[in-house]
Amino acid sequence: SRASLVASAQAEDRVEDVLEGEDIEDEDDEDDDDEDGQIETEDEGAAGGEKTAAAKSGDEEEAEEEEEVEKLKAAEDVETTLLFTKNADKEIPVNKLIQILVGFTNNGKQNYMVENIHASLRYPQDFTYYIQNFTSREYNTVVEPGKEATLEYIFQASESLALRPFGFVMELNYKDTEGNPFMDAVFNDTVQFVEQDEGLDTETFFLYVFLVALVILLAVGAQQLLASYGKKRKAPKPVVETGTQNHTGIDYDWIPKENIAAKKSPSPRKSPRRRTKRTTGSGDE
Amino acid sequence: QDSGAKLLASKNILNEWLVEGRDLTIRYSIYNVGSSAALNVALADETFHDSDFRVISGQTRVQWDRIAPASNVTHTVILQPMKSGYFNFSSATVMYQPSEDAEPIIGYTSSPGEEGIVPFKDFDRKFSPHYVDWGAFAVMILPSIGIPFLLWYRSKSKYENAALAAKNKKH
Repeated sequence: SRASLVASAQAEDRVEDVLEGEDIEDEDDEDDDDEDGQIETEDEGAAGGEKTAAAKSGDEEEAEEEEEVEKLKAAEDVETTLLFTKNADKEIPVNKLIQILVGFTNNGKQNYMVENIHASLRYPQDFTYYIQNFTSREYNTVVEPGKEATLEYIFQASESLALRPFGFVMELNYKDTEGNPFMDAVFNDTVQFVEQDEGLDTETFFLYVFLVALVILLAVGAQQLLASYGKKRKAPKPVVETGTQNHTGIDYDWIPKENIAAKKSPSPRKSPRRRTKRTTGSGDE
Repeated sequence: QDSGAKLLASKNILNEWLVEGRDLTIRYSIYNVGSSAALNVALADETFHDSDFRVISGQTRVQWDRIAPASNVTHTVILQPMKSGYFNFSSATVMYQPSEDAEPIIGYTSSPGEEGIVPFKDFDRKFSPHYVDWGAFAVMILPSIGIPFLLWYRSKSKYENAALAAKNKKH
């Protein structure tokens, strides 16, 4: 009956956790009801006695126990370390993949099965208030006694989180051979999400390209304007109507060349000598 | 608490596409987060069997005499998968001595997990330059461009010849 009581308490505790979030902060709050028999170093006698007393007593005691059974704890013979490989602990750049390595050392005498890492953002003043959950990563690897394993957790924070402090909590869940669950908050602190200015991002780069193009366009426009203005000033020569005698002012480009050649030759009225005279430019003759 | 060196090791696949018969880069990074240098660090990856992978460059067993505290080393291996399908990339092992005359510790690197290796045919279909396809396309569009061109060229040369003939007649 004791086991079933503990099991039911745990189940309800899980539901409670899901509903209201787990309080990570008060880890010191000694409460080993759910881990009785798992931690070898605990004095089992006292804990067990307490438990049987709790089991024997009435409903109000049970309720109290449920209150106390707040969260899972880390196993004492497991040592965890944490490393942000690319950034400082307290400043997490947004929009970048953040690699976190978690070291898991099994100093005990039994296997531990690492299940998953769950990371979440909390309200910095109240860590029980969840702001965002990151995808949890499943590992399901076994760490034998005396061995250690490195677990990798990669996440990316949204740009909208920048420049505000958040409570960042990473929970490592694992089990011992008997299936007893443990949870270790490998990271539990307030962090600042920062926007890294990387000198040149594409957006500003193309903004500058656009600005330069605009300046060049304006310069070309101004140069054209000035040139045409200057030309107008310089060319006040009166244009004299020369008729078809003066061929210099006529644009023949639109006529195919062979047609010009064909047209020129069959006009017998004009002698080729007369044609050479028109170099003077006066079309009076 | 002060137990000397402590190593964290990660194993990552750097390729975005894992393709049968194409190069695949694996990077191992070892970080010493302990208080002293790690000695005789040996990294060994036994997970790439000869039947599945061919080592193109680098070694699957490496050794460092010491890794100073708060420093890290990386090692890369280039492999070629010989089979397509799913492959579970699991952990390599790192063995090291946390201090002089200490027992060696065996650790596991992180594992990239199960990844799909794309058959070369599928990859080729997606990313090859498709020379044959473009050639066929060119042949197929030839009539619709060539026939109007020939018609135009014929009428053009007809008029040019007429003009030339007229010119020659005059002279």
